[in-house]
Amino acid sequence: MRSALPFRDKLSRWLPRLVLSPSLLVVFVGVYLFIAWTVWISLSSSQMVPKFDFVGLDQYVRLWATPRWHTAVANLFIFTVLFLAITIALGLLLAILLDQKVRAEGFLRAVYLYPMALSFIVTGTAWKWILNPDLGVEKVVNELGWSGFVFDWITRPEFAIYCVVIAAVWQSTGFAMAIFLAGLRGIDTSIIKAAQIEGASLPRIYLSVIVPMLRPAFLSVIVLLSYISIKSFDLVLALTNGGPGGATEMPSTFMFSATFRRNQMGVGAASAIMMLMTVAAIIVPYLYSELREDRNVH
Amino acid sequence: MKLTTVLATSIALMPVAAMAESKGTVEGIHHWVSESEVKALKVITDKLATEGYTWQDSAVGGLSGANALQALRTRLAAGNPPTTMQFLGYEGLDWAKEGVLRPLNELYTANGWDKALAPQLLAFVKSDNDFISVPINMHRQNWVWANKAVFDKAGISEPKSWDELIAAGEKLKAAGVIPLAMGDESWQILEVFEAILTDTNGPDFYKKAVIDLDEPTLSGPEMIATFDKLRKVRGLVDDGFTGRDWAVATGLVADGKAAMQVMGDWAKGEFLAKGLKPGQDFLCFPTPTATPNFKFVIDAFGMFKLDDATLTAGQDAWAKAIMDPAVQKQFNLIKGSIPARSDVPVDDFDDCAKRSFADRETAVANGAMLGGLTEGFAAQPQFAGVFTDVVSKFFVTDMSSQEAVQALVDGINNAR
Repeated sequence: MRSALPFRDKLSRWLPRLVLSPSLLVVFVGVYLFIAWTVWISLSSSQMVPKFDFVGLDQYVRLWATPRWHTAVANLFIFTVLFLAITIALGLLLAILLDQKVRAEGFLRAVYLYPMALSFIVTGTAWKWILNPDLGVEKVVNELGWSGFVFDWITRPEFAIYCVVIAAVWQSTGFAMAIFLAGLRGIDTSIIKAAQIEGASLPRIYLSVIVPMLRPAFLSVIVLLSYISIKSFDLVLALTNGGPGGATEMPSTFMFSATFRRNQMGVGAASAIMMLMTVAAIIVPYLYSELREDRNVH
Repeated sequence: MKLTTVLATSIALMPVAAMAESKGTVEGIHHWVSESEVKALKVITDKLATEGYTWQDSAVGGLSGANALQALRTRLAAGNPPTTMQFLGYEGLDWAKEGVLRPLNELYTANGWDKALAPQLLAFVKSDNDFISVPINMHRQNWVWANKAVFDKAGISEPKSWDELIAAGEKLKAAGVIPLAMGDESWQILEVFEAILTDTNGPDFYKKAVIDLDEPTLSGPEMIATFDKLRKVRGLVDDGFTGRDWAVATGLVADGKAAMQVMGDWAKGEFLAKGLKPGQDFLCFPTPTATPNFKFVIDAFGMFKLDDATLTAGQDAWAKAIMDPAVQKQFNLIKGSIPARSDVPVDDFDDCAKRSFADRETAVANGAMLGGLTEGFAAQPQFAGVFTDVVSKFFVTDMSSQEAVQALVDGINNAR
């Protein structure tokens, strides 16, 4: 006859599941159920309020026939690539420079990290004024005597998206720097000394030894920055409000206006699903390869 | 001792007194949050209070009412609709189609409200055969606001056509003044576009192109000419228009840095707030045309279907307060618009409002009363959005008029 497990053992077996279940439930309802709901809406003819009929891929066809959506997708790629590349390069450079045992490092670190404390709304509004040719940089430089200086990217549809990049880089560089700096501090100095004994130059040591060792830091920075760039809604809204002439439209702003302002809930849901698939297509393979290699290493 | 007794008694009696006074509460969602708007709303709620009902304010500001609509969606989904809500454009009609609004036919016929409103306005308060909302005010959208001193100095008077306006603009530019103050926000550009569209092609063309979305009309030569004219107007605007708020643009006119602004009569408040007088310091005239028209924008309140008889009685009182001629007069004196009722006397209103009254009467008689496209009173939001996209892109890029017309037609067909 099987003896019943003592109560304590039962408890210890069930307790973790019991403790985890509320958060699992919340994640299931709040994330996966609503993803499913959005998929359903994107296949329906919903306009102002959700309708639960089925029209196949009509809304996706309509979405891809909208020029504004094409602008939004192109902008997302331009923005993400430039934002990630510049932020990582600058953040890494700043971290390496700060790691050279400079004086007042704590103060400098705080200065570079400060923009992160602002919300994107504040950043967007401030940069809107800084980049405005009649109020900001252009005016200041002109008044300093260089009267031919022109910096009016924010007024020009073909350049305005780079203004969004500038503001986002300004905000996030300090954050990338902080993570890289933490990574650098975690590297054993004896490795650097060994490389020096081998006769490697300092740039060589950084390029071939230290940067590859920062891989986990790169992973965190890339994942966090990519999701910032996909959800970069508030920054665009505050900086350009999608303008001039819809030139800085992003998938997130497109989704919002279609769903909540233009009575095109089906199109909005379709765009949301496209965004989800884009994120999944980029992040999932990357995470997979990174995590698998991680397992091999250890 | 005595004092505490008095205090205790008064505290104990307070709720009783309040309850005896109030027959119920009326809870409303609206997006009036600026100072003058709140003051104007108080005129209606004061009237409601004299009828014995308490107003419970659920203001949701921001994004021209989009946030308020979000709040409404949530409330309806939770089965807890407000007593009443402010509607712009097709919003009320759309919700009526969802079957959540209470028909107000008895109130309308018993009080003769249908006869007090302009027939073109009824299209926005009546869904099929049911009256579904009560309008409080009427803004006129197609106004030009001008600085009188700047006009006098340049020797310019009220232009009679868009060509004259453009020619006057060139003169002003030579004099070192920004001819036309505006921002690059898409709705500000659309206001100018729809004014040119209606003024140069007439009200019937506007109805066919913008309200009926007739494809041959939309792709016709008149539309190309309209875009050509908009391109010329672009030349009257300075390069600092990026991200400029409409009220900042109004300020440029008030300060004499710019000569004119095309904007609805909500701009009047900005001049008045600076202590400027209509006719003396600033001029108001309709956008120039040979075929006068009146572009209206109304705010109306709809009532939601509720089971509670006290709440329904509150809705009746709220509707009556809104449609009260004295309330409409007082409200609009503060808000800068004119009463939605056509039978409120014009005395006490300023010259700009008086011109609105007179032009409305003519427009009603001529069938030239038109809903404003920009504020959602002409095309449904999904189509108005296409106009916004194409027109604002055209304005800030070097897109050709033919390309713009093609993009407009394709976009409208895609949204159908």
